[in-house]
Amino acid sequence: MKKIFLIILLLPFIGYCQKKIDPTPEDISKAKELRSLYDEEDIVLLESDNLITFSIEDNKVAVNNYTKEHLMNINSRSDIQKPVFYDGESEIQKFQFYYRNKKEARILSKDVSYTDNDLFHNDARVKYANVDFPTQGYTYFFESIKHTKDIKYFTSVYFTSEYPSVSRKIVVEIPDWLNVELFEKNFENFDIQKTEEQVGDKKIITYTTANIEAYYDENSSPGPSYIYPHVLLLAKDFTNKGEKQILFNETKDLYTWYKSLTEDISHESELLNEKVTALTKDATTDEEKIKNIYYWIQDNIRYIAFEDGIAGFKPDSAESVLTKRYGDCKGMANLAKEMLVIAGFDARLTWIGTKRIAYNYSTPSLAVDNHMICTLFKDGKKIFLDPTEKFSAFGEYAERIQGKQSMIENKDSFLLEEVPTSTSKKNKEYFLFNASIVNEEIEGQASRKYQGESRADFLYNFNNLESNKKQEALKDYLARNNRNIFISDIETSNLENREAEIDVKYVLKHNKAVSSFDNEMYIDLDFYKEFDNYTFEERQTNYNFAYKKDVITEMRLKIPESYTVSALPESFSVDNANFKISISLQKETDFIVYKKEFEIKNATITTSDFEAWNDAITKLNAIYNEQIILTKS
Amino acid sequence: MNMNKALLITLVFLMSVPTFAQKKSKEHLKKEASVKAYIWSEKTDFNSITIPSDLEDQSAVILYREVKYIYNRPHNSIEYTKIEHEQIKLLDQVAVKDFSEFKYQKTEHIQGLLNTFILGVKIIKPSGEEIEIDVDNEAIKEEDENKLAIPNLEKGDILDYYFYSNIIVSENDLYQFDDVEDIVGEHYPILDFKFSLETEKDFFVSLNTYNNAPELETYAALSKENKTRLYGFTMQNVASNDFPRWFYPLVELPAYKFQVLFARTRKHEKKADAFMPKEVTTIKKDINKEEIFNLYEDKFSPFGNLGDVERFLKGKEFTSEEEKVKEAFYFIRHKYFTNYVEAFVVDESKIMYPYGYYKNPIIFNSDEQFIKFFAAFLKDNKIDYEILIGTKRYNGPIKDLLIEDNVDFVLKILTEKPLYIEHFNQFSTVNQINPLLENSQAYALKVVDRKHIEDIQLTSLPASDHIINNTTESIAITLLEDFSGMQIKRVSATTGHNKIEAQKDRLNFYDYIYKDHEKYGTKSVLDKVKKEKDRLRYKKEYKSLIDKQKEKQLEALEKQTASEYELEMDDYTFNVLNNGRFGVEDPLEFEEAFSLKEDLIRKAGNNYILLIGKLIGGQAHIDEEHKQRDNNIYMSYPRSYTNNISLAIPEGYSVQGLEKLNKNVENQTGGFSSEAIVNNNVLTIKTNKYYKNYFEPAANWPDMVAFLDEAYLFYDDKILLKKN
Repeated sequence: MKKIFLIILLLPFIGYCQKKIDPTPEDISKAKELRSLYDEEDIVLLESDNLITFSIEDNKVAVNNYTKEHLMNINSRSDIQKPVFYDGESEIQKFQFYYRNKKEARILSKDVSYTDNDLFHNDARVKYANVDFPTQGYTYFFESIKHTKDIKYFTSVYFTSEYPSVSRKIVVEIPDWLNVELFEKNFENFDIQKTEEQVGDKKIITYTTANIEAYYDENSSPGPSYIYPHVLLLAKDFTNKGEKQILFNETKDLYTWYKSLTEDISHESELLNEKVTALTKDATTDEEKIKNIYYWIQDNIRYIAFEDGIAGFKPDSAESVLTKRYGDCKGMANLAKEMLVIAGFDARLTWIGTKRIAYNYSTPSLAVDNHMICTLFKDGKKIFLDPTEKFSAFGEYAERIQGKQSMIENKDSFLLEEVPTSTSKKNKEYFLFNASIVNEEIEGQASRKYQGESRADFLYNFNNLESNKKQEALKDYLARNNRNIFISDIETSNLENREAEIDVKYVLKHNKAVSSFDNEMYIDLDFYKEFDNYTFEERQTNYNFAYKKDVITEMRLKIPESYTVSALPESFSVDNANFKISISLQKETDFIVYKKEFEIKNATITTSDFEAWNDAITKLNAIYNEQIILTKS
Repeated sequence: MNMNKALLITLVFLMSVPTFAQKKSKEHLKKEASVKAYIWSEKTDFNSITIPSDLEDQSAVILYREVKYIYNRPHNSIEYTKIEHEQIKLLDQVAVKDFSEFKYQKTEHIQGLLNTFILGVKIIKPSGEEIEIDVDNEAIKEEDENKLAIPNLEKGDILDYYFYSNIIVSENDLYQFDDVEDIVGEHYPILDFKFSLETEKDFFVSLNTYNNAPELETYAALSKENKTRLYGFTMQNVASNDFPRWFYPLVELPAYKFQVLFARTRKHEKKADAFMPKEVTTIKKDINKEEIFNLYEDKFSPFGNLGDVERFLKGKEFTSEEEKVKEAFYFIRHKYFTNYVEAFVVDESKIMYPYGYYKNPIIFNSDEQFIKFFAAFLKDNKIDYEILIGTKRYNGPIKDLLIEDNVDFVLKILTEKPLYIEHFNQFSTVNQINPLLENSQAYALKVVDRKHIEDIQLTSLPASDHIINNTTESIAITLLEDFSGMQIKRVSATTGHNKIEAQKDRLNFYDYIYKDHEKYGTKSVLDKVKKEKDRLRYKKEYKSLIDKQKEKQLEALEKQTASEYELEMDDYTFNVLNNGRFGVEDPLEFEEAFSLKEDLIRKAGNNYILLIGKLIGGQAHIDEEHKQRDNNIYMSYPRSYTNNISLAIPEGYSVQGLEKLNKNVENQTGGFSSEAIVNNNVLTIKTNKYYKNYFEPAANWPDMVAFLDEAYLFYDDKILLKKN
């Protein structure tokens, strides 16, 4: 604090020359009205317009995106950062704020590289300014121009933004020399007007709408291309100096460009040959050879992502990835392909959009895919290999690519193939517990088993722990960090085997599950309580799980001698297309048998499921909150 | 670090402009080559190094680690160099991942100083093959830093790397380098460690080792022929430490500390804020009280314009000198601190430029300035005082003091009952000194005639106890009729050191500055604006700002209280009852109300189980692994936490299980007690947890665990509401 005082007192008299323009009474009442509508928001865009125009530069189609916004503060005071993102393929040509009276506001902007934690290096940048809105109803106008040098990289324009828009307009001016298709996506639930008019040598397409909410700030949501209304720009061809040039007219053109980027990657490599020989020489079957290669890459090549210009699309050579022991998805897919080819198999590069992307290859655009894998052609089948996955068994596919259309290289043409989907039953996860009550504590033999993606998930997390911390961490994990649960005598199956079921056996003791009052014991048997309070109250988007789940719990509690069961929570079950939740409590001779299953069948709970889901969770909570009562006879 | 230095560094960073050209200079290339030759000239025989069997399960083992500092004077400049060289064997995939990416500073000119950073990396394969990474080619040069993904790195490899950093400071009469205090140990065990410090003859050096680190060795001393000297030590088999709870590493683990200073002449030497050897040729290893006396005897002459204070005191009657001192201190705290807070806020939020409204403001930029000012007040009022020189307990005892930056000053005012004054911020109160200074030895600078420092003596700083450092929470619970939740009213009162954090967390500036303005008759800066139109506009904007801050404050407070209980809450309200800024015992008091859903209620047939223990909030838990402890226990201060929980028992129900809520574990280290009674259909539970001491030897750990465990068990205790 003292330091700050000194600095500010040393500063010369600067920074207050800006003429602030107070909001009008109309602005203030407008702000109040909007605040009642958007009660969680500080800023609203009264108007938000984009004008998209095209020009030819260096025999490429360049795109100018003019943004005009009228920002209003609807809360008491707001301080925001206003950003415009760009990268090596684009530049910001204008970035300017204006006061209510349209006079320029001299607000300092900064231009910095934008780092993404998931990427080791990228070329993304952001120009931004810190803007303060001193009172309710205060407004600024903002204008920017983002210039993209090649239309290939200008794939879409969204109606939704960081702030709600009262009035939203997108205008696309298509000159006669350009053939671009506007593909409208997610318009169904929005009232978006479209007009088309020819003005001179331009076709002007105007979309207008009103009252668009801001981006949802929700985790585990589907990708934006599923949720928000937007227009994909599919640039087909253009004519320059009388010569027609094809852009991405059809999927084949997209493939041809992708394929061209792989043409000059070197294939010859002594090092690669040696590695393949070392990995396959002792293998007796083809499958063993393939697995040796696939698993070696999973275990030994680190995923390090680079997104810098063309490197975002062009795979690194197999030898380079092998030598460096790291690569991005393209480099790793290419390494898998080359190694398998050397080993005598038919393996090919494969482009794919993960589950985050809503499109398939019927729309030829760079927005369609974001990932590369490798396809193995064997015995008339196509088997997909994703070397960026860790502990993924041969022939099993991660949820993020299941059901997604892939584009497989096939010399000058390509093949489109969907990655097979699997069911939640393949990812079963069990918790089994044979418990008895000893000195008001519950203890007994327990085990946890994992299959499919739950297994891969477990192995990945376990093997990401420092060697000397693994055992303690495993105990904490099995106890779910509940400090009243004590784990001992752990025995496990091989925790490096990605193919067999994982089985962890142990002794579990819980010293707070039983409460005795007088001659009654109250038992809180299910101390893990998965999904308790897991309701979706104000959520607007589907909730996506990492993978399809089937989590099964079975506990058998021995009833102590001279006790009888005087109360058991009621059983409950719900089963629909997306999820199943069932709990049953039964007395079977000397045991209380508690069975519970959660099945998330399609790895998602959709917004239309929320009512049923919330109802089920409420009932689940009631059961979780109810005690088993044993009375001394 | 004192304020002037901090400020200088801040400004340097604010104004830095990277100007280093993309292409490396010849000089830089030459430097790179010579650094490499210097570090890797000796070939290590890795085959001869075996990892002890007890370390084989580690994630990685550092085979060799060397830290070397060099201070020299090329031509007329001053040059600083630090070299860290490490050879680490990566024993699992996690270690490979952790060492597979390096980020490091770019070489650049900052404020005319050339800052050079060089990274060298080699991989030694188990076969003995050595692969040197072409760092220049492989590294990605980003705006702020360079990034290197290490190629060809696998489990079982040895990574042999060095970081070289070098700064050349131009001509200077006095240059004080940042002090260095470091422990030898790392996250991974080290087989072989080497520390060295090399300087040329013009540098003054204080340097020593601590806590069973080996004694310093003289590898080369200065002489007529020898213009550089080299000191250091080596150490083998340094264990890793997982830095347990309540631990001060610099007090217990092998460590080294040093300070280097360049001074051109005696005259400049005098200006340094450092303890320096008398002769440039000797290495200073410790500081005696005479040296402390010499450094500070001239630095605290009473000084300051006391006009404001005199006007404040004029005509006021005080019952004692103590009262006068206290009143003067709180006046100064307002006049020269909280009086400016609003100005800072309106400036920062660009509402107006406020500083023109303060004529010749008095601002204390350092502890020294404040002490001189307050000493002037004491002198004027003929009140005796001493200046105490202490160091925070995590630095080690005052007898081991080496670094001037580690010194803290406390004014001891020799009134009938002595008063202690230290910190100067919006919450500082008389007799509340930094808890980290308390209960430690210090030196007292004896002031004669309230002006001249004439002697120095060893003394003790006062201690506080767990009774004054207290937090009391009174929690009234009302269950909803259908048992679907509960409403809670909580009144919290904190005193002593417990209050300091609570004030920072719970109060915002508007919770106290207006009370100060009112008390001392000062004006809000907004009221000083003469032009009505402007004033009204500023006030409107200021009100908007405060409204927004209050909104944010309430959100943050709700989050904080919810995290104390690890529960979600609704309908949260907060109200400050007393801001606690006028004395150690003056409590910070605030009340909160909120509702909790059914998380703490379990249905049990016709009855209900109430997880009442959770209402004392999350408790420290010592897991099995940490029940054994070798390191001593270092805490900030003795303290206590009291809970008074009351529950109106719903009609038709009675409480069972009270006997389990009566607990009492007390021993030499502290205790936990709880007592539950029902009176007039109201259940009252009183709990008290307290830590008696600042320090406990490791041998007392079981005693601490005993009461910590008891409190932890209480957290899970329940009662039964039985239907009659």
